Amino acid sequence: MPSGKDNRRKSNREADVPVSSFSDIAFLLIIFFILVTSLSQTTGVLTEIPTGQKSEAPPEKTTIVNIHDDKISLNDEEVTVNKLRDQLVGMDLHNKSDNEKVVLLEASGSVTYQTYYDVITAISRAGGAVAVVEEE
Amino acid sequence: MRRRKRRNNIQVPVASMGDIAFLLIIFFMVCSNFIKDTMTFKLPAHPDVEKLEQAQISVVIDEDGLIYLQGQKMEDVLAVQYGVSALIKEDRGPRGRTVLFKCDRNVDKEVFQPVMAAISEGGGIIAALGEKGKR
Repeated sequence: MPSGKDNRRKSNREADVPVSSFSDIAFLLIIFFILVTSLSQTTGVLTEIPTGQKSEAPPEKTTIVNIHDDKISLNDEEVTVNKLRDQLVGMDLHNKSDNEKVVLLEASGSVTYQTYYDVITAISRAGGAVAVVEEE
Repeated sequence: MRRRKRRNNIQVPVASMGDIAFLLIIFFMVCSNFIKDTMTFKLPAHPDVEKLEQAQISVVIDEDGLIYLQGQKMEDVLAVQYGVSALIKEDRGPRGRTVLFKCDRNVDKEVFQPVMAAISEGGGIIAALGEKGKR
């Protein structure tokens, strides 16, 4: 008579990894990445500050923008940012010679970058070239 | 004669869906720009900003007034000038001279103006980054 051990059948189990939900997980991850990814665009203003020899006095008829303690003035007349932009656009700097395009920018006192940025954006968008006046 | 209706069991092959999905994930991960910046700054806002092309050189001034060139902290503006000049010498293509300038909106003139001058002295064209919007 066969013993109980011999009588036991070898179980032929197939171990399957459940992969049916893999694609669901993967697509959830994709949606997560799509939502989280911020397709950032670089925005700003391109400005070239001329370099070279320093001149003592500006040539005549040069446009001068002065920022003093976050107050802007164009040729000694106090203006707002919007008015500055309109007046610079009205000067038609795009169609002027290189020397006439130059706008002197003088900043004195405590000036924040935001105000400075407003001014250089207005000058650049109007077609001008920014020339920085350095304090002694 | 009666025709029997055939019952077709159409199965959509979904076995490769997981592979496709994971390939897409890898694509998104590779394409994403993970932010490496550790410096904190708020860019200035202006309604007239335009879209700029990416540039290889970047100069950052954070809210504490610390200056970084290519993510490396700079001790003074002279280091910025020499650094920009050296980087431009490596790549003098049409986009090679553009320097992305990121500066906190509240930084004072005494800090940012010498840096901007140093970039120009180094031969760079300043692409001053700003956000679109009202001040």
